[in-house]
Amino acid sequence: MFKKNAVAAGMAAFASVALTAGCAVADGSKGSDVDITAMSADELAEHLIFETDSFRDQEMQEGGDWRDRMTQDDLQKACSMKGDPDGETAGQVVAMARASYEAPESIELGDWRKGAELADSGYGYRQGHRTDDHGQREPGGNCYNCHVFDPRVSDQGTIGPSLQNYGANRGTSEAVLRYVHEVISNPHQYFPCTQMPRFNSDRHQLLSDEQISHIMAYLLDPESPVNNQ
Amino acid sequence: MFKKALLALPVAMAVGAAAQAGEWQDPNDVLQQFLQENPDSAYLHQSEMNIMMMPDNPALWLVDEGEELFYAKRGPNNVSLEGCDFGKGPGELDGAYVELPRYFEDTGKVMDFEMRLVHCMKELQGFTSDDAAVGQRHGNGSDIMKLTTFIAHQSSGMAWNPPLDHPQEQAMRDAGEKLFYRRGGAMDFNCASCHGDVGKQIRASVLPHVGTGPEWSKAVSWPAHRAGHDNVRSQNHRIRGCVWQMRHAGIKADTPVNTALISYWNDQARGEPAILPDLKR
Repeated sequence: MFKKNAVAAGMAAFASVALTAGCAVADGSKGSDVDITAMSADELAEHLIFETDSFRDQEMQEGGDWRDRMTQDDLQKACSMKGDPDGETAGQVVAMARASYEAPESIELGDWRKGAELADSGYGYRQGHRTDDHGQREPGGNCYNCHVFDPRVSDQGTIGPSLQNYGANRGTSEAVLRYVHEVISNPHQYFPCTQMPRFNSDRHQLLSDEQISHIMAYLLDPESPVNNQ
Repeated sequence: MFKKALLALPVAMAVGAAAQAGEWQDPNDVLQQFLQENPDSAYLHQSEMNIMMMPDNPALWLVDEGEELFYAKRGPNNVSLEGCDFGKGPGELDGAYVELPRYFEDTGKVMDFEMRLVHCMKELQGFTSDDAAVGQRHGNGSDIMKLTTFIAHQSSGMAWNPPLDHPQEQAMRDAGEKLFYRRGGAMDFNCASCHGDVGKQIRASVLPHVGTGPEWSKAVSWPAHRAGHDNVRSQNHRIRGCVWQMRHAGIKADTPVNTALISYWNDQARGEPAILPDLKR
């Protein structure tokens, strides 16, 4: 036993190509038949996600199963690079996002108080060891995770730009309303490969039209605390 | 003990001129060194409370409990884990944790730490997935976290140095990089959404940057006592939490996706000393 172990340790250190005997630990679970070194890194990443039983088989809140959620659409694929997109990719992503956006006939601001709650809420769409139940509680916008709206509220993130006084600085013209609706629905129309989620796109609708109108009110309504600082 | 010394010799000779992992250092000394050398890192300096508590890190309690478990004869086969090879030879724990994941001849695949530990508990000791010893993965009360904390502690202060010599090791590391940047799920996030820039905050939490060595070394230094959870947590637990927040699908424990991600994580911390165990917010 001792000799075998010594051989195994020594050879492992040399990263020997083949070792047929002398394993320190007997094992029934050999590696799968798939040669992972024959795949590109992209192929292997997809293989690991979809073919290795790494995810729980659950139904998703937006419909579909875990495979649907983990399958990339064209925009996600285009934005999976390290760092910022190059000019060509950025142009393609903007075009993709614009092509799929459907402008509503009219846009009205909702209730900024409800918008504040939605901006704060991080509930919704989580899956796994604890799964969010949309029947019990409506999903929120997660906006505070990344944006400062009102510096008097603690615990607002800085991944995205500060939105303090957003409406106070821009007003509530039709053009502003349309722009903000476009950005919340699919921000890639203006910020290709932004980290911000698409809240209402061809992939899925994470926030309802009404919820979006409340969040817009929180941002733009002159009465909202966002605009009174 | 005599056996251990004999085993160490051929390993040492085989490694030869390879990069030295460095000497063992107290986890608090490693943290203090990071803090002094990186006075502007908002991530490293974010919690005065945790920095103050570090010498009395509650995770250190698990080290002793884990040591007892490691050397105890356990399981249906009534053997200790001294026969378990974490890559440096059976029972050789010094520096083993910072040189994982790695390719193991006996299984023909790349395994991360937890996968290897569970493998040994099953194959050597005879536990099955139904036994709490391997079934319970999380929490201070779990055997897995006690053993993880003890074994990881033996590599404290040594530099992260996961091997990439075997083609499968390189393949898993490269796939892990792809997974790290792969936009997906309900909200289009990838890991870089939170870890691609320096000094960003998600709510009150300052996030570690994957491209800043000392920040990233601390970030991947699990096991760590997580103050907000009042429990010691693992790399796998961190991945589960991130993937959950990212609105991807629910990830299972120690599956190949975890292994690939950890291969990339640890590679990105390469050369930086590990804080084992760490204390986090």
